[in-house]
Amino acid sequence: MKSNNQPKIVCQNISKVFIQKGSQRVHVLEDISVDVKPNEFVVILGPGQSGKSTLLRIIAGLETPTTGTVTLDGKEVSGPGADRGLVFQSYMLFPWKTVLGNVELGPRLRGIPKKERREVAQRYINLVGLQKFEKHYPHQLSGGMKQRVGIARAYANNPEVMLLDEPFGQLDAQTRYFMEKETARIWETEKRTVLFVTNNIEEAIYLGDRIISLQGKLPGRMHATYEVNLPRPREQTEMKFLELRQKITDASELVL
Amino acid sequence: MSTTTTAASSIANEIQQEVMERKPFSIVAFLKNRWFLYAISLTAFFALWKYVDYTRVLGNGIAAPEKVVVAIYRLMIDTVAGKSLWGHTWASLNRILIGFAIASSIAVPLGILMALNRYVNAVVKPVFDLIKPMPPFAWISCAILWFGIDEPSKIFIIVVGTFVPCLLNSYMGIRLIEPQLYDVVRMLGGSRRDEILQVGFPAAFPAIFAGLQISLSIAWTCVLSAELVSARSGLGFIIIQGMQLARPDFVLAGMVVLAFWAWATTLIVTYLEKFLCPWKRETSLA
Repeated sequence: MKSNNQPKIVCQNISKVFIQKGSQRVHVLEDISVDVKPNEFVVILGPGQSGKSTLLRIIAGLETPTTGTVTLDGKEVSGPGADRGLVFQSYMLFPWKTVLGNVELGPRLRGIPKKERREVAQRYINLVGLQKFEKHYPHQLSGGMKQRVGIARAYANNPEVMLLDEPFGQLDAQTRYFMEKETARIWETEKRTVLFVTNNIEEAIYLGDRIISLQGKLPGRMHATYEVNLPRPREQTEMKFLELRQKITDASELVL
Repeated sequence: MSTTTTAASSIANEIQQEVMERKPFSIVAFLKNRWFLYAISLTAFFALWKYVDYTRVLGNGIAAPEKVVVAIYRLMIDTVAGKSLWGHTWASLNRILIGFAIASSIAVPLGILMALNRYVNAVVKPVFDLIKPMPPFAWISCAILWFGIDEPSKIFIIVVGTFVPCLLNSYMGIRLIEPQLYDVVRMLGGSRRDEILQVGFPAAFPAIFAGLQISLSIAWTCVLSAELVSARSGLGFIIIQGMQLARPDFVLAGMVVLAFWAWATTLIVTYLEKFLCPWKRETSLA
């Protein structure tokens, strides 16, 4: 077994330059280095247009970095794979599949027998609190419920790392608070290494063990790292919570 | 844990119900009633039709509505050129089914292949773009020269007419798929084959079906055009016969029956789609 001190994910000096039409170069990320420990909840915080989603897609293997490397358990990431589960901002559920059909897709692609993958899917549907909605189609669900399916789908494939790309960006404020609470609960029940991308400071403090903030405006650069040593479950109105929030807000305002 | 109970209740709160309000009866509300206005509209239409016939504004060029009904009934019993109305309807329907089957079984796979493989696209697209804007009816003379005046020439016109929307919709159906849906399959460990089977086909299905629907209505137009030019059977033939015999009731009877069948076949396809795609229809390219 690997020792617990060895980082799960190592990103070394990652930069990304997109070549757009007309050979225009867009510099998105510059010199990003991140280490994530096993079962750590790391939040990547940054305003819009800071390249944070691109960073997550590079770790997912959906984009290749222009320079630098990503390693997972010491092996270099060269493409997407089932060892990482991705939750999309715009849900990306298959409208032609039911909730159960969506959640069991991962095990199904890996050729796991029907009975077994049904059990796995059902377990994660229950975990995200969607029991009795298995037969529903995505268009019959609200935004919050859709993202629960997205989370269950990623979990059902039993990945070692969960990557969440602004998962609650499309939800209203109240549902968002609730989903943050749910995410914390799910993570406490089924611990995974998590990389969570958000533009919301409160969300970052509520969920993260560690917050890595990126500078606004392209290219995205590392700005600061905050350790969040608050006991869970956290309260958005706690004094220490608010102090940290103030600290991060002040620091980001200097940059913007 | 209290968290689970809050989870259930908050999901319940997210489901909304609509409640219809009932209003008390009044004359104004009755006059504004949708069904009442429908009745007015239809009555006015038939009254105008009857009036035009009565005043002979169009001479012998028009038959009263009730005479058209009688004509339909007589055509069902008597025969025109050896066939009753049923026989002629079947003749038209048969041509459509054959033409439609040939066109869709070639155009749909070709469209999908063009969308998935850029080399196939590069070879087929220039020729297709050249033929695309040509109205199908422009082919009629060629069709008769090549295939004679029998069935093959009519089927050819239908194939040409329905080919374009079938191909275009299958092509666009695959092309307009949200690329992140493929990412989902890739992240879950799927292969390129899984991407096509799990995302490509099902996601393009509604668009392909919309193409088939458009094709079907075009097929009716094509079969009519072909029959008007040269035919010994079919609903178009009845219309032409009615014109040559100066029987406007036959002409209108043919038109009404044609409209009915075009509507009925489209309805069948619509219900077939609802049955085959129980999920909400999100893409439609009409």
